[in-house]
Amino acid sequence: MDTVGLLLQGFAQALTPQNLLFALLGSVLGTLVGVLPGIGPTSGIAILLPLTSFLPPTPAIIMLAAIYYGAMYGGSTTAILVNVPGEVASVVTTMDGYQMARQGRAGPALAIAAISSFVAGTLGLVGLTFFAPPLADLALRIGPPEYFGLVVLAFSVVVSMSGPSLVKGLSAAALGALVALVGLDPMSGVRRFTLGTTTLLGGVDFIAVIIGLFAITEALLGVEQRVGAVALARLGRLLPTREEMSRCLATMVRATGVGFALGLLPGCTPGAISFISYDVERRWSRTPERFGRGAIEGVAAPEGANNATTSAGFVPLFALGLPATPALAVLLSGLMIYGLQPGPLLFEKQAAFVWTVIASMYVGNVMLLVLNLPLVGLWAQLCRVPYAMMAPLILLFSVLGAFSVRNSLTDVGMALVFGALGYGMVKLGYPTAPLVLALILTPMLEQALRQSLGMSHGDPLILVTRPGAAVLIAAGLTLTAWTLIARHRR
Amino acid sequence: MWRVLFALLLLGSTAASAAAQPAYPTRPIEIIVAYAPGGGADVAARLVAAHAAKTWGQPVNVVNLPGASGITGTLRALGARPDGYTLLLEPHATASMLFAVESDVPFKMDGKTPIALITFDPVVYTVKADAPWKTLRDVAEAARANPKTFRYGIAGVSGVAAFSVSQFLFAAGVPIAETNRVVFTGGAPAVTALAGGHVDFAGQQWSESGALIQGGKIRGLAVVHPTRLPGLPDIPTAKEAGFPDLDVVGWQGLSGPKGLSPAVVARWNALIQEAAKDPAFQEQAARVNKVLAYRGPEDFWKFQEEELKKYLPLATKMGIRK
Repeated sequence: MDTVGLLLQGFAQALTPQNLLFALLGSVLGTLVGVLPGIGPTSGIAILLPLTSFLPPTPAIIMLAAIYYGAMYGGSTTAILVNVPGEVASVVTTMDGYQMARQGRAGPALAIAAISSFVAGTLGLVGLTFFAPPLADLALRIGPPEYFGLVVLAFSVVVSMSGPSLVKGLSAAALGALVALVGLDPMSGVRRFTLGTTTLLGGVDFIAVIIGLFAITEALLGVEQRVGAVALARLGRLLPTREEMSRCLATMVRATGVGFALGLLPGCTPGAISFISYDVERRWSRTPERFGRGAIEGVAAPEGANNATTSAGFVPLFALGLPATPALAVLLSGLMIYGLQPGPLLFEKQAAFVWTVIASMYVGNVMLLVLNLPLVGLWAQLCRVPYAMMAPLILLFSVLGAFSVRNSLTDVGMALVFGALGYGMVKLGYPTAPLVLALILTPMLEQALRQSLGMSHGDPLILVTRPGAAVLIAAGLTLTAWTLIARHRR
Repeated sequence: MWRVLFALLLLGSTAASAAAQPAYPTRPIEIIVAYAPGGGADVAARLVAAHAAKTWGQPVNVVNLPGASGITGTLRALGARPDGYTLLLEPHATASMLFAVESDVPFKMDGKTPIALITFDPVVYTVKADAPWKTLRDVAEAARANPKTFRYGIAGVSGVAAFSVSQFLFAAGVPIAETNRVVFTGGAPAVTALAGGHVDFAGQQWSESGALIQGGKIRGLAVVHPTRLPGLPDIPTAKEAGFPDLDVVGWQGLSGPKGLSPAVVARWNALIQEAAKDPAFQEQAARVNKVLAYRGPEDFWKFQEEELKKYLPLATKMGIRK
């Protein structure tokens, strides 16, 4: 099969005015839902799903797919400007991005986020184009024991994110783990930590936690410190220096590798992947102490990784009909409404459709780059807005965002509680990153462990007799030990 | 004379308003789905909502309120005002199956007004495509011979698959306690694990298994339905496969809060019955792997009661009744 030929035919279709228009529409909407905290691509796609009754399949799916990858471009904007991640995957971007904004370098941060997203997203699409079916089959071989190993490896990042005090970092992580367990256990239906009420039955939604820990905490701190504006320094140049760009090129490639490989695995959330990519970048760097203080690679890596992940997410979706994230599950139902059953048959029977959509994703990424870069100057000016105006707006959007997740006031309350908690944590010197990471990883760890033990009738040796799992667990433990030793030396 | 005229005017206006009483619906309707978008319940809701919106010219919006395995959304829907503008897409998981497993549910099984059963999502028993077992009997034999190495994957410890697979294993005389049960958080991870060879057997619904069956990664051994499914013509029914007593099925229906007016119930029933005869609607349903299965309000309620009678002893036997 001449893949390049098929792709070119896809481009011919994708560049028609109608399909271009819908790609643009999806990109803009995706950026918008990415920017707004609480509303994500899942809700965005779900809200627009009824349009499938009116539109032919190709433009509709082009638009819905554009919302999905567009959201990853938008999530970094508020993360950098006001320390409020629009998406879970942008949490890590706040760490260096916001610092850069405070130093008056919001422009380069936003620019590198857009450029990195474009490069990694496009490279990821190349992987999708040429290697989708074999990659999908490979991803199937990753089972619960290997997932467990992966999560153990990811947990090693908690240690390196702990900041100066290991005890405080681990305490934060432990709290995150406990919070993750609240609610109805999805596997056995047992109620945990629900305090006999029905409000906590649904668990603690982590978008509410993130809105609280980042948006509300930051607003509280800003008001307390009577911050004039985010960036008091004069805004410098709007684009990164040549030297920074050349350094980030290697970063982008590494981030694409990490993001794409892990994004192929259904169940590995973009949030976890962005943390891992950040950590990989920091370990690789010769000057890791810059990270957390405004290192541009600290923005390029997670932003690139989460776009590579979105491209990778289409591999199991198209090749096997398996959605890797909730947003893709909604997209899948859109495909099915049109009678387009994903799987190997999709590539055979509906070649024109598939290749048009894939070609349109390349186009969409270009559109998003073009949309985001020129706006960098405009967005960067937001840093100079007096905080007296920003703080109430941030709080307003936070409350709306928290409510919109599950149409529930409980989540708003949760966000406020975590806002207060976050304020306390900052005052007492507890880092919030380990809490968020543990919140993301604990359910994955628990499920993978229980499923692995289910497979082996309770025998824990399954985790070491399967080579993939054993290697990953060993790597995780080694990395953790290494980090601990390095800390001890300092 | 003015008083007579005034009285006539009043009489006329009340008569007019009674005659011009606008038919339901006069404003947008919300159908609450207690699960995340894209799932089986959500898809069924959107199917019906689209048809209703087209027929009645009023928006019918699907609102997703996921959480707590469907309890959160169901509570909200059943607590709404019974004016017919907030309804619940009710699947098996928050009706008969939930009450078979849990003794402490925050709402009552009869705390609602059943409107109609709409779709079935039949169970398909599946194995990996290159597995050595070609029929359900082969699986039964293998499981009886080596229960300790037999692994099956289910979505949720009290979902459709828990019941379907257990019912099969009991019928096949397999010592369940010695087998390996792997619990996943959804249908997609369960069938993915099957395709990857991490478990040997699954009994999820058609909508969850269809994609991988068509893609040739997993093979369907039997379908729990009176007749073969048009979308899966090569898969025998459970009866043909030698297990006529298997009868676990996933379903989706519409219900409302208690006290819903019979007029509203009747309107919805008329709509659903008419939709079931519409070839476009039938095709839509088949595309999302659902079988149309209409039952009116009384039959729908009887169906749920019968299911509860069926699942309660099964749940106790499986040891999952709390």
